[in-house]
Amino acid sequence: MKNKNMVILNGSPRKKGTSYSFSLTIKKLVEERGSKAEIVHIIDYYDGNKDLKDLGSLISACDIVGLVCPYYVDTLPSPVIWLFEKIRSEFAETIKGKGFFAVSQNGFPDISLFKAILGTCRCFSESVGMNWLGGLAYGGGAIINGKLMEDLGKKGAKITSGFKAAVNDILEGKCISHEAQELLTVKVPKIAYRPFAAILNHMSRSTAKKMGAKDIYRKVYLED
Amino acid sequence: MKIVILDGTEQENCYEKILKDMFADDNQFSYFKLKDMSIQPCRSCGACGIKSPGKCIINDEIHPIMKAFAKGEIIVFMTPVRFGGYSSQLKKAIDRFMPLGMPLYMVKGGHLLHPMRYGSKHIIGIGIIEENIPNQEDNFKELVSKNALNMSSTYEVLLLNPQDSVEKAVNELKVLLKEQNRI
Repeated sequence: MKNKNMVILNGSPRKKGTSYSFSLTIKKLVEERGSKAEIVHIIDYYDGNKDLKDLGSLISACDIVGLVCPYYVDTLPSPVIWLFEKIRSEFAETIKGKGFFAVSQNGFPDISLFKAILGTCRCFSESVGMNWLGGLAYGGGAIINGKLMEDLGKKGAKITSGFKAAVNDILEGKCISHEAQELLTVKVPKIAYRPFAAILNHMSRSTAKKMGAKDIYRKVYLED
Repeated sequence: MKIVILDGTEQENCYEKILKDMFADDNQFSYFKLKDMSIQPCRSCGACGIKSPGKCIINDEIHPIMKAFAKGEIIVFMTPVRFGGYSSQLKKAIDRFMPLGMPLYMVKGGHLLHPMRYGSKHIIGIGIIEENIPNQEDNFKELVSKNALNMSSTYEVLLLNPQDSVEKAVNELKVLLKEQNRI
């Protein structure tokens, strides 16, 4: 198998959050296989801090593009959609035939929620003539909160093994297997949702109290 | 009934005029042309959940939209169907809706959700199809349905094809709004 070049797009506005942590893990796994990977932050281009033409050159020269991003209101964050629009209008000719995969994460264990966000990534891939290699969903992102996989013990090792399976598929030009998703899926039985919600609510109320928030139920936009 | 239209289209199109004409005499109607508004992307800072509950701390033009949403009963998301989803123009506003949910969790219909601060709405997703990508319509419907689920709201989807006549689109819109006793 020939060594490949991958560009990993961090779609989070937070440069050191969970999406970045996942990106770092994927980059390490790619490099362990003798290929190369570079992480870029989409927000730098959206904010105009970096030149979009440079990103265009970078992705034109690579073999595979990966997107790792948080799940915002059921789909991609707006800067990611903006980048997709820009790629289609400005770089579509240079990225045809390259591999494309996506990883998305949120704080809800039900991965059926990811159908629309990964569907949009597939539609983008088809729209610009890239080779869709599949998507992965992770529903425990809020708990990870930017920590490195190496610092998460068994949980981190399991996530890493899921990404390893996915990277193996991707570098061989194959679609990501169900096995990779299975290793990433956070299995919380629905019967546990109520006690889980109660724990999260207790944590939210305690944090709000510590931060000095007086009324978390406040209807700010109906005032005045 | 108060109606709020978030227009995420970039090009001039007939639907903007149609909707505006439909509600020309209605003072409970808010129309936001998002491409003309300065709205920054959500930075995921978390302030709206805990530090300033219910309020986004970014000072830009999202706040009139949030006020209209809080009072609104029907919320229309109008957008070109972009990769089976919303345009970046529409999404830049929707991403900032985090303060509309409370920083708490509830279980409803087997789903873990944030309770909505301003109650249930009726969402109408209007997608203007601009290219032919397999299954993009189903993906658009899936997205609107998930937005409605997470906003504890009801919803409908209207997909407009370029080959459809404007009259057909107007009639379908009227049917949707009539069902809500809006016109």
